[in-house]
Amino acid sequence: MATATQNTGRITQVIGSTFDAEFPEDGLPAIYNAVKIQNDDGDIKIDLTGEIQQHLGGGRVRCVALGSTDGLLRGLECVDTGAPVSVPVGEETLGRVFNLLGEPVDGRGDVNTDERRPIHRDAPLVTELSTSTELFETGIKVIDLLTPFVRGGKAGLFGGAGLGKTVILTELIARIASAHGGYSVFAGVGERTREGTDLWLEMQEAKIGDTGRSVIEQTCMVFGQMNEPPGARLRVALSALTMAEFFRDSTGKDTLLFVDNIFRFSQAGSEVSALLGRMPSAVGYQPTLATEMGGLQERITSTKSGAITSVQAVYVPADDPTDPAPATAFGNLDAFLYLERSISSKGIYPAVDPLASSSRILDPQYVGDRHYTIARRVQTILQRYRELQDIIAILGVDELSEEDKTVVHRARRIERFLSQPFLVAEVFTGKPGEITPLEDTLRSFEDICDGKYDHLPESAFMYVGSVDQAEEQARKMEQES
Amino acid sequence: MANARALDKRRKSVRNIKKITRTMELIATARFKKAMDRAMASTEYTRRITQVVTDLANSGTEVKHPLLEGRDSTENAALVVLSANRGLCGGYNGNVVRTGQQRLDELKDTYANVKLVVSGKRGLANFKFRGIEVHEGYLHFEDKPAFDEVEPIANEFLADFISGKLDRLDVAYTKFISSAKQQAVVETLLPLGSLDDDDSEDTGGANNDYEFMPSAESILEEVVPASFRVKLFKCFLDAAVSEQIARMVAMKNATENAEDMIKNLSMTYNRARQAQITNEIMEIIGGVEALNN
Repeated sequence: MATATQNTGRITQVIGSTFDAEFPEDGLPAIYNAVKIQNDDGDIKIDLTGEIQQHLGGGRVRCVALGSTDGLLRGLECVDTGAPVSVPVGEETLGRVFNLLGEPVDGRGDVNTDERRPIHRDAPLVTELSTSTELFETGIKVIDLLTPFVRGGKAGLFGGAGLGKTVILTELIARIASAHGGYSVFAGVGERTREGTDLWLEMQEAKIGDTGRSVIEQTCMVFGQMNEPPGARLRVALSALTMAEFFRDSTGKDTLLFVDNIFRFSQAGSEVSALLGRMPSAVGYQPTLATEMGGLQERITSTKSGAITSVQAVYVPADDPTDPAPATAFGNLDAFLYLERSISSKGIYPAVDPLASSSRILDPQYVGDRHYTIARRVQTILQRYRELQDIIAILGVDELSEEDKTVVHRARRIERFLSQPFLVAEVFTGKPGEITPLEDTLRSFEDICDGKYDHLPESAFMYVGSVDQAEEQARKMEQES
Repeated sequence: MANARALDKRRKSVRNIKKITRTMELIATARFKKAMDRAMASTEYTRRITQVVTDLANSGTEVKHPLLEGRDSTENAALVVLSANRGLCGGYNGNVVRTGQQRLDELKDTYANVKLVVSGKRGLANFKFRGIEVHEGYLHFEDKPAFDEVEPIANEFLADFISGKLDRLDVAYTKFISSAKQQAVVETLLPLGSLDDDDSEDTGGANNDYEFMPSAESILEEVVPASFRVKLFKCFLDAAVSEQIARMVAMKNATENAEDMIKNLSMTYNRARQAQITNEIMEIIGGVEALNN
């Protein structure tokens, strides 16, 4: 990229993780261009990439630093690279771990690809989008029944701190990626580095189907975790997405994109927003919240040449789903799971709130009448139970009419039946993970709604696959007592 | 955090519920005292008359009375279930219906025809829901059952029993043991002899010196049916007292639960309100600061 017309400027101001630089007025770098600053003279060696965010006028530009600004001095030379940050794309990236600049961080040497792509691109045109809608089976009862995922669609896992978003995400990786022939891309955005390491090790152990190859061989991972400055967290999702887009556009295979956690992307934006001189908007977020989110989400989409199925974790600050950041992410998703604290405190995992979660394709047109009716029946029963909760809390269960007692009876069983042992949680629960086929899920819930299993004790429904296992568990419990 | 106004609304509705349950608790307390006085007054009479009948039956007189005899016939049985007309009394109705239904199933195993008589709206509704046919229902028994109201029912059963249309009569009701303990029980009232086990102990055989004037038959003719009527009446009285106690306890719990709920809601509400205020202040200050720069 070293061309003769390389522009150089000088840093004029450093504010936290942003800095201003002055360029000659006739050689102003374009917005989103990457600038490089290198300095080996001082106490601190500097090798920093920045991204132009604003033109301030008079040859001055404002940039976000994509690394630490420690030791940055005024007057340091910064070089316009003439293009946005780019990342290597191609099959060579599989099995590797990158940072947002596309540099491998797994210590396995350089990655040499034929092509690098800039991380800033336009979303595919409407005419290129894929129009098919197909259910994506996960083998997790609550997801398949109430919030069916769309093949080539986007699913979000919303939840407050410590409700198990990352666990569900890892579980989905274990389930989907290991049964999936295409490629996977994982973006670690602003979460714990330890989780990233765990995931990396786990992927090396997990095998794809019967092929004997580990999942990691079909996966590339990009991390910008919470130890990194906001600029890095702001752009790492784009880097990962760019790699995924290549697989979609060039290979035509189905690609999976996992993002943990999209909220950190908004959060990083808010951290640099005030430093860039934007006026804070609702709840202190950046005024460009929806624009940033939209720009990212619109690119995660399926086109006629291939599909990206994406699962994103979304942190919900203070358990408040009306917070602007999760609320903005919400509108972009096809299916969304809301994890509820009151459910996790009952010890039911995955703690998906069956009433707050929904999916675009939970519609007879896509899932069929039977599936739709069963899902609605389950929701009706749980809804009624929730309405009765206040009465039960004050007056007790005895005051309910006989019909309502039956509803409560079944609702409590359904509530417990929505739990499921996970493949990745086997070490904690001591129960092997259950993959429940959709047909079994439907049959089980239908029978419970019909009252065929009213006689089983509530605890028999905890952590089982299909209802047949609940029966078996009830028998075992009876024998033990 | 939930919206502060919605929380406040919910808290208000819980407060209203609390007012109602508190009032019902007070009313039930007042009614319970009256009902208990009535039940207590009749307890002594019932005990004495039962004792007399028992003594007579055991005194060795040759006289037989049809009401005292057990029957081998397993043709017709009847079950009376005494429930309340109103709810909001905890497990009172549920328990008596459950006990009654258990006995009903047992009776149906042995007897060809089992007639089910239910007093109280709640019991009727309950049996209807379970799809069990009720042959006769009474709705007019409230917290003060009168002897005049119970007597015709008793007389009907007596007539049926004597004429052989009825071989056994069971009553499921909530027995008043003490003000701290009531229990849903089933007792067999006809034939009369089968019930006396618990009372006959203390009488012993000491004062059995009865002289019958004008004759033993005529006395028995009078006393035995009277004893049955009184016993049935006692069941109604017990049921009434138990209902009031059950309601009192249930409403007391409900009031306490509502209080807890109000406390929790208040805490959440205050927190939500404060968060909202803090947020607004932060936004205003943030805006001002941004404009100043």
